[in-house]
Amino acid sequence: MSITIKLFASLREALGEAQFQLELGALPAEELVDGAINVEAIKAVLSARGTNWSDAINQPNLVHALNHKVVYLDALVRDGDELALFPPMTGG
Amino acid sequence: MSVSLQAEPIDIAAEYAALVGKASGAAVTTFTGYVRDHTGEDAVGALELEHYPEMALTVLQDLGRQAVERFGLINWRIVHRFGLLPVSETIVWVGAVADHRGEAISACEFMMDTLKTDAPFWKREQGPEGARWVASRAQDGERRARWERSEGI
Repeated sequence: MSITIKLFASLREALGEAQFQLELGALPAEELVDGAINVEAIKAVLSARGTNWSDAINQPNLVHALNHKVVYLDALVRDGDELALFPPMTGG
Repeated sequence: MSVSLQAEPIDIAAEYAALVGKASGAAVTTFTGYVRDHTGEDAVGALELEHYPEMALTVLQDLGRQAVERFGLINWRIVHRFGLLPVSETIVWVGAVADHRGEAISACEFMMDTLKTDAPFWKREQGPEGARWVASRAQDGERRARWERSEGI
């Protein structure tokens, strides 16, 4: 499974990456729901990259957008999807 | 009934003319947001605006459609800038055309309040002490929540 991860604003800056492909390979069956993985499980995978990732990914109020729509942690992510993570928005 | 995401300054006169141009509405409300030279007691020299282009376009187009549904707008337009914006430059411009003032005013406010919390833009202020990301404000969330609770005008 290959997922496009996008990071914005302070999260992008803290982690030094704006976009990358997350290759999940063969996932344990218990992680899969209907052939998909949820946002919470992807955050756990990213958090395992190191302390700076764990701190940034688990900060309160982090927003998750799946294919350009804000979603909760239980949203299901499939091969080819785009998952963006960012702090609360401050436009206007 | 459209959105523009742009680096260039907003030509307000041209935007206004285009908004009202073919519309038969009798009431027009617009809002313009500018870069302030301060936040609280801190001086601001310029603003950097980061955005997520594909999502910003989707969210703002959907917001315009919601405003039409909710307030019966005849026309609307949302222009939002990104990139480096010096003090006193325009950041955002929203226009709403309706048959009556109540709908036009409320629709403009609804679009601005929702845009602030739902459209993927992030402000970074440049000041004498360096640059810092602007934190979201609780009162923006509260203003946004009012529209969830109310049934409109």
